[in-house]
Amino acid sequence: MSTNDQNAALSAALKGRARAKVLGLTFDDVMRYFFGGNATVAVIVLLLILVFLGKEGAGFFGQNQVNLSVYRKAGLEYVDMMRLPMEDFTSLTRGLNDARLVRFQALLASGKDAEQANAALAEFDAFADKFGAVAGDARGLMTDLTEVVSAVKTRVQVAADNDLERDMLRHAGREEEAKALKIEEVDFQKEIAAIKAAAGAWKPTADAMLAGLKAATATGRAAAWAKGDVLLEKVFVKAEKFAAELPKVELRMAAWNWEEPVPYSRSMAAFLFGRDWITASFWQDWYGMLPLLSGSLMVSVIAMIVAVPLAISCAIYVSEIATPGEKALIKPYIEFVSAIPSVVLGFFGIAVLGTAIRSLSQVEWLNWIPGFPMSERLNAFTAGLLLALTSIPTIFSLAEDALANVPRHFKEASYALGATRFQTLVRVLIPASLSGIISAVLLGFGRVIGETMVVLLCAGNRIAIPDFSEGLSAFFQPVHTMTGIIAQEMGEVAQGSIHYRALFMVGIILFFASLIINFIAQKVVRKYRISIG
Amino acid sequence: MPTQNVSNMDATAQHIFMRPATAAMRSERVAFNVFRVATYAVLLAASIIFGVIFIKGADTIFQREFPFINVPFLVESPETLHVFDHEGQHHEMGDREFRKYMAAHENPTIAEETYVYSAGGIFPCIVGTLFLVVGSMTIALFVGISAAVFLNEYSRGGRVVELLRLAILNLAGVPSIVFGLFGFGLFVLFAPVFASAPDASHLYIPLGFGYLNFSGWGVSLISGWFTLAFMVLPVVITASEESLKAVPKGFREGSLALGATQWEAIRTNVLPYALPGILTSSILGIARVAGETAPIMFTAAYVVRDRLPWQVEHLLDVLFQGVMALPYHIYVVSSKIPQNMYTERVQFGTAFVFLGLVLAIALSSVILRNKLRARYRW
Amino acid sequence: MSSELVDKPSKIVNPPSIPPTTDTSAAPMIEVDHVDFYYGKSKALHSVNLNIAAKQVTAFIGPSGCGKSTLLRCFNRMNDLIEGTRIGTGEIRIQGVNIYDPTVDVISLRRQVGMVFQKSNPFPKSIYQNISYGLELQGVKDKKRLDEVVEKSLRGAALWDEVKDRLHSSALGLSGGQQQRLCIARAIAVEPAVILMDEPCSALDPIATSKVEELIQELKKDFTIVIVTHSMQQAGRCSDMTAFFYLGKLIEMDATQKIFTKPSQQQTEDYITGRFG
Repeated sequence: MSTNDQNAALSAALKGRARAKVLGLTFDDVMRYFFGGNATVAVIVLLLILVFLGKEGAGFFGQNQVNLSVYRKAGLEYVDMMRLPMEDFTSLTRGLNDARLVRFQALLASGKDAEQANAALAEFDAFADKFGAVAGDARGLMTDLTEVVSAVKTRVQVAADNDLERDMLRHAGREEEAKALKIEEVDFQKEIAAIKAAAGAWKPTADAMLAGLKAATATGRAAAWAKGDVLLEKVFVKAEKFAAELPKVELRMAAWNWEEPVPYSRSMAAFLFGRDWITASFWQDWYGMLPLLSGSLMVSVIAMIVAVPLAISCAIYVSEIATPGEKALIKPYIEFVSAIPSVVLGFFGIAVLGTAIRSLSQVEWLNWIPGFPMSERLNAFTAGLLLALTSIPTIFSLAEDALANVPRHFKEASYALGATRFQTLVRVLIPASLSGIISAVLLGFGRVIGETMVVLLCAGNRIAIPDFSEGLSAFFQPVHTMTGIIAQEMGEVAQGSIHYRALFMVGIILFFASLIINFIAQKVVRKYRISIG
Repeated sequence: MPTQNVSNMDATAQHIFMRPATAAMRSERVAFNVFRVATYAVLLAASIIFGVIFIKGADTIFQREFPFINVPFLVESPETLHVFDHEGQHHEMGDREFRKYMAAHENPTIAEETYVYSAGGIFPCIVGTLFLVVGSMTIALFVGISAAVFLNEYSRGGRVVELLRLAILNLAGVPSIVFGLFGFGLFVLFAPVFASAPDASHLYIPLGFGYLNFSGWGVSLISGWFTLAFMVLPVVITASEESLKAVPKGFREGSLALGATQWEAIRTNVLPYALPGILTSSILGIARVAGETAPIMFTAAYVVRDRLPWQVEHLLDVLFQGVMALPYHIYVVSSKIPQNMYTERVQFGTAFVFLGLVLAIALSSVILRNKLRARYRW
Repeated sequence: MSSELVDKPSKIVNPPSIPPTTDTSAAPMIEVDHVDFYYGKSKALHSVNLNIAAKQVTAFIGPSGCGKSTLLRCFNRMNDLIEGTRIGTGEIRIQGVNIYDPTVDVISLRRQVGMVFQKSNPFPKSIYQNISYGLELQGVKDKKRLDEVVEKSLRGAALWDEVKDRLHSSALGLSGGQQQRLCIARAIAVEPAVILMDEPCSALDPIATSKVEELIQELKKDFTIVIVTHSMQQAGRCSDMTAFFYLGKLIEMDATQKIFTKPSQQQTEDYITGRFG
């Protein structure tokens, strides 16, 4: 081959061989787009999560607005104004009962039998009966009105259901049947007028109740048998407060306007800041996040209080102190712990841990701990302990990475100055890896707050905002959580109902919470990269 | 440690490098012991859980006589347990046996207690979990490895790739119950189904030769597959990327310098060496898929189902049926039936099998990884 | 780095005129025509201008970061793989074809312009498969042809006698020097016109280095070789032409002997005599 030929061939070769192209793409391009397409799945899934949670949850605020406006228009709100003082009054009588129980037990302790003790408390009981009877009329009035407004609400609901059915019939082309369906228009004007007329009796009733209460309190205070009883005195003080508040109910009732529209923002606020989550109730359904949010936070805080010190200690121990042999054992072992399915941990909580903790709480010399002895086997504390175990591997492995990533020369410089290992750890290693550790804790927190099965099985599932009025014993109360409520109620709700949409809204909140936690953790880590330089 | 040689010297000798008994040394010893105690406390807590479940579950799984393993528990379906006293004898039997007994004794009136799912075995749950794991991991590995190949081999940084990485990171943090809701909304209620007639109550697209009805796949294996696959995707992508990164740059360059196209270089000189690592690290993903309950609660799991997954009329029905699954079964038997000596058997037995399965998967991942590390050194 | 050089920038500013090649009759194999090259925003090559003659060994020398490897990796467009790199003004022509022209197929280019890397990078396959890999990419399946090429390439790389009994064992079992020669064999198996060598001996001991250098002398009968090296002795020993780069500029290019005896630029002399670098 002559040089010229060769050169010509080379030039030709450089111009490119004709590779097969489909739609102007070489095979290599096709593969590239194929892989790229798969990589975008992560983005697509995130978007789809948003879209489909939004799609199912979207109508919630509108439906809740209707729900709340029916609550107002049908007069339920009005009656609830009367109900509130009645509930407060009930808590007064409960206070009396508590006081009686203390006396009763003291009598038993002093050697009397039950009959004698009851006889000794006859005076007290007579007083308690009189005291309780004070609210009788008001309660009766409220109960009557409750029935009236419930009936109105039922009619509204029937009308709404029929309306829906008519739409469905029309949609299915059954016009005749749709026309035949009678839908009652509820005349709120008329109904409310009737309710208000009946409620006219409230003022005299309440006045009578006030007078009775004052008289009863005065008698009780004056009575010889009541002297020096701290619990009773508490009840009396509460009763005075109650008496001061009672007239305000009238004012509120007078100011109430059934026609005042419920704004959309009210519906949102009622969800985000609502203190009640009550569903499938005969009276009124409430979809308020606070009890669930506070339950989730409570359980997570307990878990973090337990997990963070343990997990970080583990990380420090493994990366700085442990012998290579220990390291080879501990690291895979903790990886194993992370593999324990959460439902198994939940089962362990139900079957073993809950009972074990409760028996422990009944040990006499542990009574100084607030909340001991525990009344419920399954509560925030039980769930928190198990959740701690699920977050320890997450926090441990990330914190251990952070410690291991501190450049060697930091450590060597410190040793060279004669620092002990502990001094090096506290003054050099931990500060240098602090943001890594913080982000580990954050991600652990994210893991805990999103965990479902443990809290569903072990947190006790009582929907209530934890009551801190009695101090730290609140940690031993049963709670319900955001994740738990979805898992528990999703299977039982009708598709498209307000309850169904409310659950999706809770899911959306969880989704955004996880994004925010992730975001903050990443911010912290980014800072840390710079600080190491 | 700087003073390790002290023991070799005369203990009473005084010299300048002796370990001083300073406050710093004392606090170090105390602090280190605190760390040590904390570490072993965690290990102990985990061991107690393993121990209790394995010991109590072993009563169900193992037996004293041949074949030493309680085979019926592993190969039968769950049944209702009937507990009663009859003719001076105490009986505990499953539903089928109970009916035979009643028939044989001419339906005597007895005072019986019944406990659902407490007799029989958990075979359908084991099978269902295997079906779920295999399907979802196939999808997750396919998409995940492809995504990792793009991110590690093709992409050259920039906004889009940053967005992708951010999405993957965030996806990893989404709670599993949210995946459950998402799977329910998308796959159970909305996913397209091919049919010959339009479904008026849903969105549909005419295709000319049929219709695509967006009526959802229902609570089914396939809904569960996709839900679980998307949930585990970040794990698979991260694992795959790490393995791809471990393949030396020289393999790619050498290959490209010889005139390979990028795909040829990846196919011949990257993927073959990364694949073992990818699969090994993805085993942890399997443990996660097998262990999660929340995502399958509304998408794939049935409380009870008589038929096994392969007992279907049409082959395609395999995809569109719900299954029983071990984690969901544990949830059901631990929350819906009381805790007592009769129900304990199935509760701890199921937990034993499930935990054992998941830990075996995790263990094989650890062992394989160590083996691989020893084998591939370039 | 000496401040002396930085203090006298005037000498660097004007690139020298295109140096004469030893064989002016034949057209140059590679023409570098006022090439600017960027990594992102930083300029790595400043209007580099030179010709490389066919079937000669041309050495690129200069301190680290002077752009010599960058230019080498432009010849087979390996820089394409690095994010944010681009060629500014100027052209690189191989056999008269501008290799940055959109019609040029990078894959075909790389088949004509082979490369040997600083760190030997045999694939974790057998010795045989390492050599046959390039041909298989081109679709050669004929076993006999492959056998021939493998033997010829290994002989060409002076490796045949050492490995002929273990062709099917892993290439990773070879010594460092053998691995590098295997990489050379792999490169010549596809019969490129040009072989680029990026510091091929920097990781090798003196004995292995001298073997590779001998090999280069043999190879130049058939191939155009461009070698980047840190070792001036190596450049002196095995190259015909030498180009000295400094701070992204070509300072001087001339016959090796002339560069090493009486360089025309002060910086070249400073570098060669070891006053900096």
